Amino acid sequence: MLTKEFIGLIVSGSGLSKKDAEQLLATTTAIMRENLMDGKAIQLQGLGTLEVKERKERTIVHPRTGERTIAPSKNQLVFKATANVKEELKKL
Amino acid sequence: MADKLSWSELRRALAQRANISEKDANTFLTAFNAQLLEALKTEKQVKINGLGTFKLQAVAPRKSVDVTTGSEITIEGYNKVSFVPEAGVKELIEKVEAGEAVEALEPIQKLGAQADEIVDILGDLGELPKEEKAEEPVEEAAPVEEPKEEEPKEEEPKEEEPVAEEPKEEEPVVEEPKAEEPIVAEPVIAEVPADEPKKEEPVAEEPKEEEQKEEVEPLIVLEKPAKKKNYFLRALLIFFIILLILCVVGYFFLRKQVCEWFDILKEKVDKIELFNKCSAPSEEVEAAAAEDELVLEVPEETAEQVAESEAPKAEVQKDQKAEAKPVATKKEEPKKAKYEELLLTEEITEGSRLAWISRKYYGHPDYWPYLYDANRDRIDNPSNVPVGTQIRVPKLTKAQRDMTSSEYLRLKEEAVAAIR
Repeated sequence: MLTKEFIGLIVSGSGLSKKDAEQLLATTTAIMRENLMDGKAIQLQGLGTLEVKERKERTIVHPRTGERTIAPSKNQLVFKATANVKEELKKL
Repeated sequence: MADKLSWSELRRALAQRANISEKDANTFLTAFNAQLLEALKTEKQVKINGLGTFKLQAVAPRKSVDVTTGSEITIEGYNKVSFVPEAGVKELIEKVEAGEAVEALEPIQKLGAQADEIVDILGDLGELPKEEKAEEPVEEAAPVEEPKEEEPKEEEPKEEEPVAEEPKEEEPVVEEPKAEEPIVAEPVIAEVPADEPKKEEPVAEEPKEEEQKEEVEPLIVLEKPAKKKNYFLRALLIFFIILLILCVVGYFFLRKQVCEWFDILKEKVDKIELFNKCSAPSEEVEAAAAEDELVLEVPEETAEQVAESEAPKAEVQKDQKAEAKPVATKKEEPKKAKYEELLLTEEITEGSRLAWISRKYYGHPDYWPYLYDANRDRIDNPSNVPVGTQIRVPKLTKAQRDMTSSEYLRLKEEAVAAIR
């Protein structure tokens, strides 16, 4: 599902105008990005949390040459669903 | 990261930013959540611009073992939510968060920071690893080894230091024989064996170096400094070998000169001893010394005198010859008796001549005819005396020392005639 379709769903679910919904979605994602860059996790009530996790450095092997190198540590944006959502989605 | 933007905070921020009431913000956000969940259920994939994509991923059923009973069980397949951030968002988070996280979690990330430094230094990666995607640093970091290998790197130079010292210790060994060469000039036979070990030494050094290399190589692949050192050592070694060869070659070419220099030195010492001996029995000391001084001071003059004296006296000698020749055979034996006493016997060595012996013991090379005269039975050709011949060195009387005396001139004439 693309963003436009998702906005259509929000419009139908909330009664907001399409324009407002677009704008609000944009501001919401902007706020989320800013907070994520500050190192804050974002709680989506009843759905889960978006958070930044550190991926530790690890040794990786080049499949062809067999060279061993270090992949430096980096940060990843991770979504963690709540237990309820997990259960709900497990069986479809 | 411990901080969490709660639902209410998000609502408040949204209301502020969009200039709407919190209530409206709430309706939007609840709708957002609910519709996201619904969309996941129906479409299994929801893309939100500016954030990323939520996916519902199916995990296939798999077999496993019940830990308690040990019997095989199958874990049924299920779905799980995964989130893939947008490319731009991912980059932002990797970049900005990385810097902050390093500051915040320095003790934990020290290793990572060190790895980064190594990457920077060895791979010339600069800031690239932070900016580029996961795969690229892998390729670029390829030349970089694991941090574990740094420890052996540090050990390496330690092991090489003795390597560097050993050849140094050998160098003086090479130099010592060089220093001996000029000093030992006379005993040629003794030197030849001395040269041979010298040549063997460098040969022996090379395998040593190779051994050391073999020891170092298996340890680590990264040993560019080590190789450089080895090259330097080799160059040094080659340089010394060349120098040694030059010295040996130079010695053989210049040996005669060296011998002369040495003889001159030795002769001066011997002269003093000789005159001391001579002085004991008679008063000749002063005269002899005086003569010798003259000889030393004006060797050229005497040579000229001899040349001059030869010319006029050659005529006289011609007359004498006529008389002397028939008597010569008879006179030989009494001639030897003329010498009062025998100073010593000298062995002819390679490169030495009668003139040198004369110079050595009498202070002037022109007295060599006396030596020839005293050793007629042993010397066939005075200009080419075989090595090893024992030469009797007689003591010369004051009269004999006179180079203008008829006896000297006669002997000289005979000696020169004997030269072939």
